[in-house]
Amino acid sequence: MELARPELVCPAGTPAALRSAVDAGADCVYVGFRDETNARNFPGLNFSRKELEEGIAYAHERGAKVLVAINTFPRAGQPERWHQAVDDAARLGADAAILADIGLIDYAARAHPELRLHLSVQAAASNPDAIRFYADTFGVRRVVLPRVLTVQEIAALNDKIRPVETEVFVFGGLCVMAEGRCALSSYATGQSPNMNGVCSPAGHVRYVEEASGGVTSQLAGFTINRFGAGEPAGYPTLCKGRFQAAGRTSYLFEEPTSLNTLAILPDLIKAGVTAFKIEGRQRGRAYVAAVVQAFRAGVDAVMAGRALPDIDLDRITEGGRQTTGAYEKAWR
Amino acid sequence: MQEGQTRPAAKPVTPPFSPVLLLGMALRPVRPALLQPVFDAMLRVIRGRHPDILERMEPFAESVVCIDPVDLPFMILFEPHPADPRLVVRRAVDPAEVSATIRGPLETLIALAEGKVDGDALFFSRQLLIEGDTEVVVALRNAIDGAGIDLVEDLTSAMGPFARPARRVAGAALDLVAHMRANVETLRQAMIAPALKDRELQAARLSELEAEVRALRKAARGQDRRSRGMA
Amino acid sequence: MTPSPTSLTLGPCLFNWRPETLRDFYFRIADEADVDTVCVGEVVCSKRTPFFAPFVPEVLERLAAAGKEVVLSSLALIMSERELEQARELAAAEGWLVEANDVSVAAMMGGRPFVVGPMVNVYNEGTLAYLEDRGATRACLPAELPAEVIGLLAGSAKAEIEVQAFGRLPLAISARCYHARSRNLAKDGCQYVCAEDPDGMAVDTLDDEPFLAVNGTQTMSYHYLDLLAELGDLRRMGVHRFRLWPQDVDMVAVAALYRAVLAGGLDPAEAGGRLEALCPGAEFANGYIHGREGHLFVDADG
Repeated sequence: MELARPELVCPAGTPAALRSAVDAGADCVYVGFRDETNARNFPGLNFSRKELEEGIAYAHERGAKVLVAINTFPRAGQPERWHQAVDDAARLGADAAILADIGLIDYAARAHPELRLHLSVQAAASNPDAIRFYADTFGVRRVVLPRVLTVQEIAALNDKIRPVETEVFVFGGLCVMAEGRCALSSYATGQSPNMNGVCSPAGHVRYVEEASGGVTSQLAGFTINRFGAGEPAGYPTLCKGRFQAAGRTSYLFEEPTSLNTLAILPDLIKAGVTAFKIEGRQRGRAYVAAVVQAFRAGVDAVMAGRALPDIDLDRITEGGRQTTGAYEKAWR
Repeated sequence: MQEGQTRPAAKPVTPPFSPVLLLGMALRPVRPALLQPVFDAMLRVIRGRHPDILERMEPFAESVVCIDPVDLPFMILFEPHPADPRLVVRRAVDPAEVSATIRGPLETLIALAEGKVDGDALFFSRQLLIEGDTEVVVALRNAIDGAGIDLVEDLTSAMGPFARPARRVAGAALDLVAHMRANVETLRQAMIAPALKDRELQAARLSELEAEVRALRKAARGQDRRSRGMA
Repeated sequence: MTPSPTSLTLGPCLFNWRPETLRDFYFRIADEADVDTVCVGEVVCSKRTPFFAPFVPEVLERLAAAGKEVVLSSLALIMSERELEQARELAAAEGWLVEANDVSVAAMMGGRPFVVGPMVNVYNEGTLAYLEDRGATRACLPAELPAEVIGLLAGSAKAEIEVQAFGRLPLAISARCYHARSRNLAKDGCQYVCAEDPDGMAVDTLDDEPFLAVNGTQTMSYHYLDLLAELGDLRRMGVHRFRLWPQDVDMVAVAALYRAVLAGGLDPAEAGGRLEALCPGAEFANGYIHGREGHLFVDADG
């Protein structure tokens, strides 16, 4: 069977990162507007309408696409802000909108039948019936798969849902819960990915220096982790903390670790995945350039039948640790 | 809100023994006011070449960020107010007057400003220390990263006709620092080796004490757990 | 104007209780509990399903005979072909109302009436209206919605709006089993250790602060939701159905407390005190409904 060449979908939190991603070989760049309409509504991040327009021009001149994530759930009583975001993405010539909310997808499909729609990972469509629902009723063309499926399950899924395309995460921060179905952040901080576009928001984070030279990371006053002097510290993302349960202290949900699938790229390509997504719109230009280059080289090597390049991404991974996550069944 | 806010005792990170530290020692007698023109120039660059930094910082206009290069004998206060931004050099800063502090070796801070290193990775590896309101720091990091700053290019461009020689000098200075690094590292290892031994003993005793405190705290917690949770 | 009658739903048991225990629990609910609707079905983990399956027919029969409306709840996270097949059977069940806890199940209903479960993301009028068009007659809203949003949805809904009012809140679902992980086991060889914690496994911070609870692949609040004091306000906003999540406490007595407050026969503060006595050791929270952090307890007059 001839392998289809997967698109490399890369993050950009700023215009500078967009240019870095395109220059490093991204096929697509995904971005969000500077408000709560997208799931990376972080301080100082994201695009104004004008920046998006310029970013799309920069990408299109170089043969790259721009996808706009509008993937939070509109607040009742004020859907206009989300509708406007979809309208603007369409008007400015975005190559697709990445959406999660059924009501918003319904709006986009009706108001902009020409706009290509991708289903955000935040919609957590984890089976063929859910995916077909979005494809058949709204014309969704591509689904970003939740990070809960193994490579084998993804291959089987692709066989059932063609011609709907799938996009999978290949690198970066790793949600251990089904995305879009997690309220841990709002339970602790009052702000959630679904409603506010943030998880474990920085405004609630405190690092407390201990007399011992260690540091304690807190989220909304809850201790999420404690590090010894010199021990690598992590951002207190709630599900990557150390907790006590059943008489043991452990990383109960997940270690502070990054997804890295470079080693299993051939399997993912064989599984028939259309696009590879790199997480990290909040991570800056240095990260974007390094990861995009690595995966560009990886994909090109696999497609050319060469051995995978040995690229060390240790220094940009969380806690210096990496995992292939749910793609291998043992993770569960 | 922000009930998690804590202000750690001002305990500066130990600066790495580096060429910049030596430079810092040399600068110790220099009054901060003498350095102020450099930062005035930098602010002009920000306003002229990177207005989007201030635009991205708009929600944090009233926040003051302290940037503390731990190997230099001064700190920089940044007030991102779009209409009236300020960049002020000071010998000392009271933690109460700033929203947040970023501490780290100068080279690391410059690399961060230029987007050459990943801020998250720096913090993961503890080369940077963040105190106070993390949200302001994240905003500043994102704003600066998005600006595409090149300090040498930016500053020398602000100097007009002197730009080319200045660029050469500045570039050479950074190269020199890099060259010196290797030698300095050898010296550092030799100097701190004896101190490290002592520290291990102290650390063992400390972790014993910590275990005791935890046991006591758990017992106390069990007693008041029955009470209804309070807002 | 006479207030509309208000209904109580007993949500599906989210925990892994022994099959006989669960059967007896439902028998007692059928015989004694003042609830209008009872949900039955495994929501959290398909590995648990086979154990209770033999008891389901008699449980449904007993509940129906007692005059309860019975709702069959679907799994929340559907990944495997086997799980899909079960969901299709559920959706095809004649004569029973189905609660869809995944979008795929809502799609399988093919326009027939169904209940939207709290694990489906209904955050706004647009989504609610779309699901109503697909046959939704009732929607139990997600845990994190504030009263203001609930009011807007209740105001625009054709479907009946249901609000979670008691018990540990389901906060997240995963492919990974944290109960197994806490014992260094893989999900495939989990030994069903989740059964050891009939109310979920407490998760404390490093500073011994109670924080979350784990129930297999599900993560829940440590705190028990208690909306006794908010029932009146929510009812005035147009909410006429409340959900009680089964905990390993006297649920007949819990239901009686909520019913008494709804009927105006019991002061909410007094009821709150009795609820504490019914749930020894539990801490309570109601922050979400007040637009705050979910773990907070906000005093009604505060």
